[in-house]
Amino acid sequence: MLLEQLINGLTLGSIYAIVALGFTLVFGVLGIINMAHGEIFMVGAFVGVMTTGVLGWPLWLAFIASIVVTGILGYLLERMTLRPLRGKKGVSHLAPLISTIGVSILLENLSHHIFGAGNKPFRTEFAEISIEIGSVSIYIVQIVIFVISIVLMIGLSVWLSKTKAGKALRATAENLETASILGVNTKKIITLTVIIASAMGGIAGILVGMAFNSVSPQMGLAIGLKGLAIIILGGMGNVKGAMVGGLILGLSETFLVAYGDSGYRDAIAFIMIIFILLLRPQGIFGSKIAEGR
Amino acid sequence: MKVLRKASLFFSVLMLLLLTACSGESTGNEGSTTEQTDEKISAKFGVISYLTGAGAAYGEAITQGLKLAQSEINENGEVNIELVIEDSAGEAEQALSASQKLMSDDSTLAIIGPTLSTEFFAVAPEADLNGITIMGTSTTAEGIPEIGDYVFRNAIPEALAIPTAMEKAIERTGAKKVAMIYGNDDVLTQSGFDTMKKTAEEMGLEILTIETFQKGQSDYNAQLTKIKNTNPDLILASALYNEGAVIMDQARKMGIEVPFVGGNGFNSPQVIEIAGDAANGLIVATPWFGESDEQKVVEFNEKYEAAYGKRPDQFAAQAYDALYIYADALKRAGEADRELFHEALAETKDFEGLLGNFSFDEIGDVVMDVKVVEIKDGKFIEFE
Amino acid sequence: MLDFINPYYLQIGSFILINILLAVSVYVPLSSGQLSLGSAGFMGVGAYTSALLTINFDLPIMVGVVGGACVAGILGIIIGIPSLRLTGVYLAIATLGLGEVIRVIFVNWDSVTKGSIGLTGIPQIGRELLNLVRGFGFEPSMIGLKNNQFVFLMVFLLLFIIVMATIWFVVRQQNSRVGRSFSSIQMDEKAAESMGINITYFKVLSFAQGAFLAGLAGSLFAHVMGYISPSDFSYHRAVEILIFTVFGGSEVIIGSIFGAIFLTLIPEVLRFVSEYRYIIYGIMLVILMAVRPQGILDIHLLSRVKGLKRSKGGMR
Repeated sequence: MLLEQLINGLTLGSIYAIVALGFTLVFGVLGIINMAHGEIFMVGAFVGVMTTGVLGWPLWLAFIASIVVTGILGYLLERMTLRPLRGKKGVSHLAPLISTIGVSILLENLSHHIFGAGNKPFRTEFAEISIEIGSVSIYIVQIVIFVISIVLMIGLSVWLSKTKAGKALRATAENLETASILGVNTKKIITLTVIIASAMGGIAGILVGMAFNSVSPQMGLAIGLKGLAIIILGGMGNVKGAMVGGLILGLSETFLVAYGDSGYRDAIAFIMIIFILLLRPQGIFGSKIAEGR
Repeated sequence: MKVLRKASLFFSVLMLLLLTACSGESTGNEGSTTEQTDEKISAKFGVISYLTGAGAAYGEAITQGLKLAQSEINENGEVNIELVIEDSAGEAEQALSASQKLMSDDSTLAIIGPTLSTEFFAVAPEADLNGITIMGTSTTAEGIPEIGDYVFRNAIPEALAIPTAMEKAIERTGAKKVAMIYGNDDVLTQSGFDTMKKTAEEMGLEILTIETFQKGQSDYNAQLTKIKNTNPDLILASALYNEGAVIMDQARKMGIEVPFVGGNGFNSPQVIEIAGDAANGLIVATPWFGESDEQKVVEFNEKYEAAYGKRPDQFAAQAYDALYIYADALKRAGEADRELFHEALAETKDFEGLLGNFSFDEIGDVVMDVKVVEIKDGKFIEFE
Repeated sequence: MLDFINPYYLQIGSFILINILLAVSVYVPLSSGQLSLGSAGFMGVGAYTSALLTINFDLPIMVGVVGGACVAGILGIIIGIPSLRLTGVYLAIATLGLGEVIRVIFVNWDSVTKGSIGLTGIPQIGRELLNLVRGFGFEPSMIGLKNNQFVFLMVFLLLFIIVMATIWFVVRQQNSRVGRSFSSIQMDEKAAESMGINITYFKVLSFAQGAFLAGLAGSLFAHVMGYISPSDFSYHRAVEILIFTVFGGSEVIIGSIFGAIFLTLIPEVLRFVSEYRYIIYGIMLVILMAVRPQGILDIHLLSRVKGLKRSKGGMR
């Protein structure tokens, strides 16, 4: 039982972590909480359902389709809702929050019209393969999810610290004006960030579809709220924090169900962040308190 | 800067104008009344349905069932029915506003809906107070018809459906130990669970564990792993079909092979769509058996599929029957009068609908036989 | 005659008034620089407290409403003190989380709250008022009204008085020492502190006032609806309340009022396109933020509206 629950927790946690990575990337660079991220993730999952289920595409192509679609959504999000707010005088820090909430309402209801309100099954051969270890069956998908989340985290850390684009991105995050004086094309960097973050949402969407075989327009909200809690838990804008925070949340939700009262499952994320905020407001891995942006 | 200010002023004025224009329009709608044709009895029924938001699938099925019945009834020619459909978005507040809108129109004869029991609890007392008949087609929670004289339902209550299903399932499988899982943030599933638990205790079953899940959850592995380790003979699952199907899928993947007994909300062809082979072994009690080879059911399936491109579920069927029950009462009432209609409806007895023989008891609750069905080889069949 | 006293319009009117209270409950903490998304939670606390008091102990509605508001206010103080360390989005998410935790407690605390089934049979303000005036030998028909017209009219008028009193209080407070302290804290906390303003006191005060108002709105909501369940106080409610304030204009109280009125009316007005209204709603928010991120109404706009500037000076 313990081993099985551990696997359940790690699978859930890895998905949370990938979603949280998208949140944290946008927050790290722009200081914005992208409330539409959960819905972009949901759209990614639907692209997976449609391409594999209706069009019969192979899985790898579905991944690419999902990344492309969510990437485009990210571009549109940046272009239409975030950029108009940037650098404008008198814009409160609330404006991007509201604007992205608007996008999330729009996306949820649009997909609701396009795909219908119910759960859609996500059928792939790949999701059926499992290995038996004793009485425990582990699905390949579960391992893949865990590996992808680790790869994404390491890849992102390396990219941020080692590559030129990553350095430009960090410079932009540090100080937008200084970065642009130093010759960084901040506009391009910001657009790139939002696109990458959204594409990661798309990847997470397909993974959830495969792991749990359920995709619905409402899933964005449920997972989006958890993602929000995780980035606070791990430290805003911190890549490692998002990863660890995601795993902690996934494991604690699973173990709460296993050994406690499953009714409080949805509350645990927020009980944890309320405590962490009171004890260590910068989060587990945060180094300093970001002044309320 | 000045230009900007002017623009903003203009914008706000525009918004205000829009507002007044819109509200003006809605007053305009208010004035229109039903056309009275000479020979036929015409009536206007208000419908409150869950058309936008998380549970819109239910509202959609209900309105489609109603519309199909409406077109048939009107074609038939004895009575002419107009439906005014309002969206409640699944919120009690909006359902209440919608009901006030419908009720304040004097030509509204009676109301069908709202979809959810939470909405119904808010709306029905108001309708009852105003002397307007209201009937729920999907509200299976405890205590609905007890709200008042004018409150009816044709959705079979969980208290009728669940014990029947459980008795039959246990008779055949001989199960003694059961595990339970239910959605604890939904009225329907919570109410269904209460009935299940009570029945299980009465039948002397051993309840191994009780697990809950919440709306919008997609991962049930933690709960199911726990259930699996208690080795139950049977799983009692009070879930709506959307979540229920996913639960079964994940359970089968995990190697849980025992049958599931579900409540009324678990009964839908969608379960097979979503869960595929994993849906085999679901046992539910239902007034609606879509695979039945009865003439009227087959016809209904065909017509529905032709009109909406998918198979009807019980929500559509119950709504379809509800409008026929209303039309029947209207015929017996003789004219579109709220009081006469109420009396005629309350007397509904042995009505032969799509779902079978239907009557109201003295408080306006359902009297009918329920069938127990199970999914076997990817199909609903009658349970033996 | 008197047909214009239509229960439907009055019902919408009552919801508008409750929503104004909720919008103000976000506005007040915001005027001292604190963004609270906990209004839905505090509203739930107020609603449940009042409903349980009136159902279980047969207390008069007024006692229940005051009790509900006070419990929410006290909870606001308890939460407000530790939350002082948090600013900006951190506070927003922590309070959002608080709301979720409160909702989950309502769902799980079966024995008291009846879980997700919710509380039915909550005494309704309108009917109590009707019984009250009947006690004095007054019948609505005496002034040519039907019973339900009278009921809705009374509810509307009562709420109207409460809302007016609240707005009057908030506006008065803004022009006082307290209000100036709030806005100085909003401008620059450190500067305000060095000027000798007791930041702890004023921040907790504004936060608790917000909680109190949300609780008040919640308990009134319970007695207008007659039925409450945990789903009434979900994330969606929290976002809705926030949007009232931000849409209307978060810098001025009139903005919150306008936002609550406009956004409560929109779904009703858009009923004829009900299938698409949330899509329209979403697009509207995006466009609004791009065009007027400070909300529809702001100080500049108000001062341009002739006469408003001086006669109601300091309506911000």
